[in-house]
Amino acid sequence: MKTLIVIDQPPYGSLLGRELMDMAFSLSAFDRRVDILFAGAGVNWLRDNHQPELLQQKNAAKNLSAAQIFGVERLLASTADLKRFQIDPGQLKYQVELVSEPVDNAYDHVVRL
Amino acid sequence: MATETPRPSLGLVITGAPYDSQAPQTALSFARAAIAQGARIQRVFLYSEGVQLASDLLQPPSDETNWHREWRAFLLEHRIPVTVCVASALRRGILDSSEASRFDKPAPNVTEPFCIGGLGDWVELLSADTQVIYFLGQH
Repeated sequence: MKTLIVIDQPPYGSLLGRELMDMAFSLSAFDRRVDILFAGAGVNWLRDNHQPELLQQKNAAKNLSAAQIFGVERLLASTADLKRFQIDPGQLKYQVELVSEPVDNAYDHVVRL
Repeated sequence: MATETPRPSLGLVITGAPYDSQAPQTALSFARAAIAQGARIQRVFLYSEGVQLASDLLQPPSDETNWHREWRAFLLEHRIPVTVCVASALRRGILDSSEASRFDKPAPNVTEPFCIGGLGDWVELLSADTQVIYFLGQH
């Protein structure tokens, strides 16, 4: 069984994105197959140089660089949404696969909150 | 000889809070209909804002439905286990007696059948023979 976690919420301003990330890491902790798709405002997770201290918050993306070490198989990002938020795919610091088409059908379980 | 059709197995995840969203209400209507049609609900998992449903302290006006009480009665009647995600719960002030004691809080607000637990209970629901349905709050 393979699960896709869709993070379509920005890293700050709402807890939902972080709670989706917790779900992804829980799946990997239990050796379940999981990919994460960043879409909509969720692509802002992939920006470099977060400054969470200005918001008195933790760096939401801190664990992202280690996602694959923790067992998350693939990080995916919507090409259209990267463009919409003016994020240059060539500048991404994470190993991210770009997707242009819906990918839900490749998964047994898809989670959006 | 005819074989018996297995009962559909369901897991329900509620992420919307009562009185901020309709998620707990819709989930309860669904759950009642599913049970009436012979389905088995393996577990209810409260996550994100959905953990608010577990609070004993919810007190809507007397002419509004108390969704906490409705859910409690339903869960007890059908002996359905319910997990209140600990990470979501603690930061929202939802605690059972054990957590209240651990964090030196004056009182708990979660009692049985609601049970504080981890995301592992949600992960366990994700199996080929169980359909997991999400009842979301509003963004």
